[in-house]
Amino acid sequence: MNRRSRALWAAAIFAYAFLYAPLVIVVAYSFNDSKLNAEWVGFTLSWYGKLFHNEKMLQAAWNSLLIGITASAISTVFGTMAGYAMYRFRMRLLPLLVLAPIAIPEILMGVSLLIFFVLLNITLGMVSIVLSHIAFCIGFVAIVVRSRLAGMDESLTEAARDLGATPWQAFRLVTLPLIMPGVVAGALMAFTLSIDDFVITFFTAGVGSTTLPLQIYTMVKIAVTPEVNAVSTLLMMLTLALILIASRLSPGALRAQ
Amino acid sequence: MRKLLSLLLFASLPALAADELHLYNWNDYIAPDSVKSFEAQCKCKVVQDFYGDNEELLAKLAAGAKGYDVMVPTSNYVAGMAKAGWLQPLDKGKLPNFKNLMPTYLNTEFDPGNKYSVPYAMSITLIGYNDQKLKELGITVDSWAVIFDPKILQKIKGKVTVLDSQAEVMAAALKYLGYSVNDRDPAHWKQAKETILKAKPYWAAFMAQGYIKELSTGNIWVVHGYSNDIFQADTGAQEARQKFRIRHALPKEGAVLALDAMVIAKTAPRPDLAYQFINFMLDGKNSAALTNITGSGNPNAEAMQFIKPEIKSIKAVFPDAESAKRLEQLKDMNKKERQQLNRIWTEIKAK
Amino acid sequence: MTTTKSQRLHKWLIGGPPLAYLVVFFAIPVLIMVLASFRNPGEFGGLAPLFTEGEGGGQLDLTTENYGRFFSDFLYTELFLKSFAYAAITTFVCLVIAYPLAMLIARSPKKHRDLLVLLVILPFWSNFLIRVYAWMIILGPQSVFVTALNNVLGLLGLEPVTLLYTPFAVIVGLVYVHLPFMVLPLYANLEKHDPALLDAAQDLGANAWWRFWRVTFPLSLPGVYAGAALVFIPALGIFAIPDILGGTGGIMIGNVIKQQFLDTRDWPFGSVLSMVLTVMAVGIAGLAAWVARRSRT
Repeated sequence: MNRRSRALWAAAIFAYAFLYAPLVIVVAYSFNDSKLNAEWVGFTLSWYGKLFHNEKMLQAAWNSLLIGITASAISTVFGTMAGYAMYRFRMRLLPLLVLAPIAIPEILMGVSLLIFFVLLNITLGMVSIVLSHIAFCIGFVAIVVRSRLAGMDESLTEAARDLGATPWQAFRLVTLPLIMPGVVAGALMAFTLSIDDFVITFFTAGVGSTTLPLQIYTMVKIAVTPEVNAVSTLLMMLTLALILIASRLSPGALRAQ
Repeated sequence: MRKLLSLLLFASLPALAADELHLYNWNDYIAPDSVKSFEAQCKCKVVQDFYGDNEELLAKLAAGAKGYDVMVPTSNYVAGMAKAGWLQPLDKGKLPNFKNLMPTYLNTEFDPGNKYSVPYAMSITLIGYNDQKLKELGITVDSWAVIFDPKILQKIKGKVTVLDSQAEVMAAALKYLGYSVNDRDPAHWKQAKETILKAKPYWAAFMAQGYIKELSTGNIWVVHGYSNDIFQADTGAQEARQKFRIRHALPKEGAVLALDAMVIAKTAPRPDLAYQFINFMLDGKNSAALTNITGSGNPNAEAMQFIKPEIKSIKAVFPDAESAKRLEQLKDMNKKERQQLNRIWTEIKAK
Repeated sequence: MTTTKSQRLHKWLIGGPPLAYLVVFFAIPVLIMVLASFRNPGEFGGLAPLFTEGEGGGQLDLTTENYGRFFSDFLYTELFLKSFAYAAITTFVCLVIAYPLAMLIARSPKKHRDLLVLLVILPFWSNFLIRVYAWMIILGPQSVFVTALNNVLGLLGLEPVTLLYTPFAVIVGLVYVHLPFMVLPLYANLEKHDPALLDAAQDLGANAWWRFWRVTFPLSLPGVYAGAALVFIPALGIFAIPDILGGTGGIMIGNVIKQQFLDTRDWPFGSVLSMVLTVMAVGIAGLAAWVARRSRT
């Protein structure tokens, strides 16, 4: 390896270390037998145990799950439709509305949705959170589906049409199975985005509809205990698993952002 | 697909109007045992939400939050909340324990006749400090100077936090300068702002709730905080077997007294449970439990006999007549004043 | 053979529903926010009624006072400039860290590239708050890292430093959270570079630094601009990082906006600030797109 390559490698390794060290620390301290996130005292699983007795945490986790499933299901349907429409037809307004929520700072969406719900007298709660999450998840699914469609072989659908299939049959029996990995990857991504969302949920949550990220935020602001590390580790593992599956299904999906 | 949706819908339904009391309260402002015994008594569940500042409570209500039964605002906000239509009038007939309260704390200017609110507990916003560290540095803590005077702050740089509340920090600064906490003179506000800005570089952070933990772990040595939080920081330090204690200091210039009150939200899903809860907390023993665990002041005459003597001796929790003269309650502001204060607060945070 | 009429029907059948959803839950809220910036704040917070009692039916209660307050008071512009500065520094630091990483991945054998890219993206998919919280631990006064650092400084005869609750901590948090956004576009661009160009330059006698600066970097500019936009715009509107790591300083415009809605209850003014932020974000996105298009020629 020449000198320049070595420098490059060193810089890259530093970058990777920078990316992963903090997360490793969070995980490590979740097993630390000490209230402070300082010196290593001993190995323990007690923080995980405390977590499962923490009512608020369990409620928040349940809420996050419920919201995630609902939001990702609906946004996958809408997102697939949007992705297909953007690929097949010339739409002018749709691409803009699909991509804008991803491009602008999240706080703008959060704040405008808050005003929106309050003015329409919609009580802030689980429903308002789900509606908000769908709005920004559609874009991600649409992008993934569209790129998957772009890489698909058109001749198969054309052949189906030539053989007399209606457009809906061609879509259902040929296109959809072909893009299904992309759709599923999009669904998984939407689920992850919903579970991890903080800013938009922060503004549109209501009474009794805390989600896991909001709960973590409250804990971080009030009293930092290794319980936060424990819940963070669990959340990370879940997200990791989902994203790995998604990347297996649709290798280009993650880079399509 | 439809079955899945209806299943999900049913799963989330229990959250509505079940046998639950939704309590929106300050953090660490109720004894966990009291919650448990109330749940046993009413055969219901108490779902708690917390806020760290009255402004937070009001902001949630202004955003149309529905679903809270009992809330615990500071009494000076009750008038505004009632006018905004967020409270329902209280039927004293349903509160037999109302008679336990000391008359001094009833019928305030904020809620004549206690139409909407019932006194819960009191706290004084004062200074909490690590006695060992401050002794080592030779600093006597008896004045707001320990928060605002750069000469003293130099020695404790980065070890001080103040409340993340525009009303409280402004009040402390006004008191330090010798004015009333309800002084609205723009010139005085400007002076207070400059005082705060001069002291800010020495402060570590604005903390509404996190300072309890920081005090008991020894990370922070001096806080501008609520008397009951500081009491709990001391309890925490003792539990952690620290070599120091956390003490209260009631500044000689005076401080803010907060009389917090229980109210029932107009849109309360379970007003019946709300009444049960309020009556429960007005009982002498339960009110005393609050003081014994959280170290908050107590307006309940019946409770006095159950309060631990060592807490009764803490002047910051039960001020004597001399100290009581220096305490003031904050009055609510109108829209214009709020805007002005917010602008000052933004400037304080930005610089 | 599908007729255009049937095609149009399909277009609206398929594209219609998502379009409708986004119009209702994205476009309309934004428009409402624009309107809100011209309304008066409610007596107890929120918004004052749109129509006030007046003779002959309600009067529209609109005002430009909120915008007036923003433009007449330099404090808020100053805050925007500060946020700008934070976002700019973050973008620059991200670029410096991301570039070598992207170059390395681009030069690796093809079979390794997807894995290396995945490794970059994975931390991004963990919860945002967890990533910020991690830095609370690392930069906290009792952390192993900080105590070691202060010991070293003590040996050198220097004052101990506090890292948490400082603008430094805010920048570290911002960089950490946005780094993957810079790596990906850079990598996507660098991957397409033709190695033949560099070989040609080398044959002509150019040294490594010259080759990088005069060939690689200019070609990578579209990737740099894309990455910069992807870091700068979100960073501009962040509030949680200054909130958790910033202590008494380092607040950004996002914090002030949050304050208006959740603390002071002055929604119209909060809407004004949000509008200015939106215009800025859109402006920068447009600028990045324009520059990217120009440099493609």
